[in-house]
Amino acid sequence: MKAITVIGGRLLQTAFVLLAVITILFFMFRLMPGSPLAAYIDPNFTPEQQAELMARFGLDQPLWRQYFIYLGNLLQGDLGESFFYRQPVAERVLALLPNTLILTFSSLILAYVFGVFAGAYLAWKRGSVVEQIGVPLVLTTRAMPEFWLGMLLLAVFSFGMGWFPAGGTRAPGAEYDTMWALYTSADFWWHMTLPVLTLAIYSQGLPLLLMRSNMMDVMREDFVTMARIKGLSTFTVVIRHAARNALLPVMTSFAIAVGYQIQGNVIVETVFSWPGLGRELVRAVQTADYPLAQGAFLMIALVVILMNLVADLLYAALDPRVTHE
Amino acid sequence: MILLLRTTVLSAILSATVLTPAVAEEIRTINIVTRPQTSQPSEFQFTQLIAQEWRRLGLDVNVQVMPWEQMIQEIWFSREDWDTTAWQMVGRPERSDPDEIIFNLFHSTTAEQGFNFIGYNNPDYDALVEQQRVTLDPDARRDIVRAAQALLVEDQPNMMLAHPQSTYAYNNTVWDAATVVDQSGIGIRNTWSYLQMEPLGDITDIILNSSDNVTAINPLYISGGTDSWITELVYDRLMRIGPDGLPQAWAAESYEWIDDTTITVTLRDDMMWHDGMPVTPDDVVFSFEAAGSGEAPMYGPFVTGIADMTIDGMDITFTLTEPSAPFLTASLAKINLIPMHIWEPVIAEQLTLETNAESYREDVPIGSGPYRFGSWTLNEEVVLEANAKHWAAPNADRWILRIVPNVEAALGMLRSGEINFLSDFPGDPTVVVAAADENPDLTAVSTVDIGFRYVAFNHRRPPFNDPAFRRALSASVDRRLIVGAAFRGYAVPSNSVVSPALAFWHNETTIEGMEAGVELAQQMLADAGYAVVDGRLNYPDGIAETLGE
Repeated sequence: MKAITVIGGRLLQTAFVLLAVITILFFMFRLMPGSPLAAYIDPNFTPEQQAELMARFGLDQPLWRQYFIYLGNLLQGDLGESFFYRQPVAERVLALLPNTLILTFSSLILAYVFGVFAGAYLAWKRGSVVEQIGVPLVLTTRAMPEFWLGMLLLAVFSFGMGWFPAGGTRAPGAEYDTMWALYTSADFWWHMTLPVLTLAIYSQGLPLLLMRSNMMDVMREDFVTMARIKGLSTFTVVIRHAARNALLPVMTSFAIAVGYQIQGNVIVETVFSWPGLGRELVRAVQTADYPLAQGAFLMIALVVILMNLVADLLYAALDPRVTHE
Repeated sequence: MILLLRTTVLSAILSATVLTPAVAEEIRTINIVTRPQTSQPSEFQFTQLIAQEWRRLGLDVNVQVMPWEQMIQEIWFSREDWDTTAWQMVGRPERSDPDEIIFNLFHSTTAEQGFNFIGYNNPDYDALVEQQRVTLDPDARRDIVRAAQALLVEDQPNMMLAHPQSTYAYNNTVWDAATVVDQSGIGIRNTWSYLQMEPLGDITDIILNSSDNVTAINPLYISGGTDSWITELVYDRLMRIGPDGLPQAWAAESYEWIDDTTITVTLRDDMMWHDGMPVTPDDVVFSFEAAGSGEAPMYGPFVTGIADMTIDGMDITFTLTEPSAPFLTASLAKINLIPMHIWEPVIAEQLTLETNAESYREDVPIGSGPYRFGSWTLNEEVVLEANAKHWAAPNADRWILRIVPNVEAALGMLRSGEINFLSDFPGDPTVVVAAADENPDLTAVSTVDIGFRYVAFNHRRPPFNDPAFRRALSASVDRRLIVGAAFRGYAVPSNSVVSPALAFWHNETTIEGMEAGVELAQQMLADAGYAVVDGRLNYPDGIAETLGE
């Protein structure tokens, strides 16, 4: 019963955060320099045609009224119509969202699986040559900008060796009947390799270093010493006892990393011509396409907020010491 | 902020003290606007160069950098408020007729809202460009167009700089080089290439690139440069601009001027829409009516000159409100032919709605053109398939447009074979040429563009209302220097808005023997009464600075 109230409270909080995000987004874009006039209204138009178009976009209304119209439409699930593409925002955003999510989650999972094991390994090898080489190496990969890393991978593995394609999600002219058919095709995975690798290399540093320092703390705890005294093998001690306990903060950081990863996506999607939400967002901001930019941002915010909520609730499930009672 | 306030106060005091007109007054700080170096390197470069030379004349020049979105707001929509700005006219096939440029850019009627944003006003010039519009004899019209260009040289309404060369490339092991068409003023990226390119081996798909997303595929919406590549292939038009830059019959079997305001067009009888229905003269008349219905605002201006259309068999007779020499290019080669059975209900419905036909999207756009619509993957790819039943069926099987926002990757893709036709390269053209030089499989082609780059003067604001002042400023920089430094040689010097690519219309005397240099400009200014006092250029005696802070 209590848990339900707590979850209800969390959901209420989430709704409030969403409203704040929506409000900030709405006013942020309208305070930017530049005007939608530049991008969509042909200079050949008569003043009447220009006024008509402004009215159609609702840009002739006072700002506060535009805001409430926008809120009202949102409640009905209507994200509006893109100024630039003359298409419903929801349609575009939903078509591109899966591409971005696939990139984000596959690279993060790769980064976290690698980071957790490598972090545990480095903690175990504390003071050795492996650590002396490993830690600086991790810090170096973490310091490489994604666009640079992406171009490097392109130059070597695509243009140099010819192993991987340089852009897109599929071979030119390849047709798939369903999204599912595309996502499960070898073609898609082949195209996905370099962008996922770029993002994964960039993001493995955080879980790795986090895991390593947690492990070093946990290794000093009494129960680890106890396990060692019991004569358990090193592998069992490190993986089954220590690592499980060191894992919890890393899991939390995963949820937060989703948010960070989106900013990396913006760059990687451009470098690898990946049709995702990040590229759409940049273009929408450049052309002052308010509804589209808001819709894309909102979708990303939604994913981040959701992931935080999930992490929050999962924490109790992962660690019996934490309860919502 | 404090600094800004202080300068404002200071200049207020200063201007108060010099209110009584002295003998000569200093010219205020002149602004010149450019887009950022990252997005427009050539423009940024030539603006800096020009500012530097103007400073040597004794002007205080301030370079303002702003993105295009802001620029259009501050220049185009605020016509009183700027001094000078870098500007660009892009080449489009329909600009192969000089009318669109020489009329719209400078006629006094377009000064308030239209393309004459600089506010040029010369009744003699107005008369010339009005006359060329109604002169149907090409040779007579050519003389007038040349005279108009000569008048512009004298008035220097803008500081013309260069016609850039567009550089594209293709894989010559995939496509027979002899079948790639270099269209005058446009380059090899054109409809004729896409129709005539002959595959040499197993690869029969034209795979090309664009750095821009496809906005819409709509025959009633001029939505973007890349989109027009598609609509030109999916839809037919009565005429098309030929590789030589002149209009030629296309869906029209023939055409004949009956008198100055009447033209009869005979429609081909072997045309079919992609859904199998025949193309009829009713469809043609409907296409022009739809363009003028108010539901396609961007196409409206191209049909306003049509007073009436009548059908007789396969003949369609257009009656015009007044004689129009550019009618073939600006209307007949511009309006997409669309099927009445699809668009009539759409237009009827749109008339009752707040939106217009630009918002309407067909799942499968139906035209009658040499390529039919295949598929469109958002922000990634558009596939067109050859229409084998078309009388001018393409030699390629498919036309696949890949969206590649990463310019460097696009060139890499051409090398690796992911694309076989580089149709968009916004970066430095020397990179493409160098790539083709070191790889024998690649051929790069550079073509002088119809479009041009220039610095616009605001005629509403002194001293730019004085032709002598404009002439001197324009003469201060050698165009060859601009071409070399800002365009790395990939442009030709210009002193006329009609590109040398339009050989028939271009007046070559505009640039031949054009002299330039700071010394010459200084002399011209001195002759016109402008003097340098304490290192700053002053107005001629008796003219006050009205716009200083």
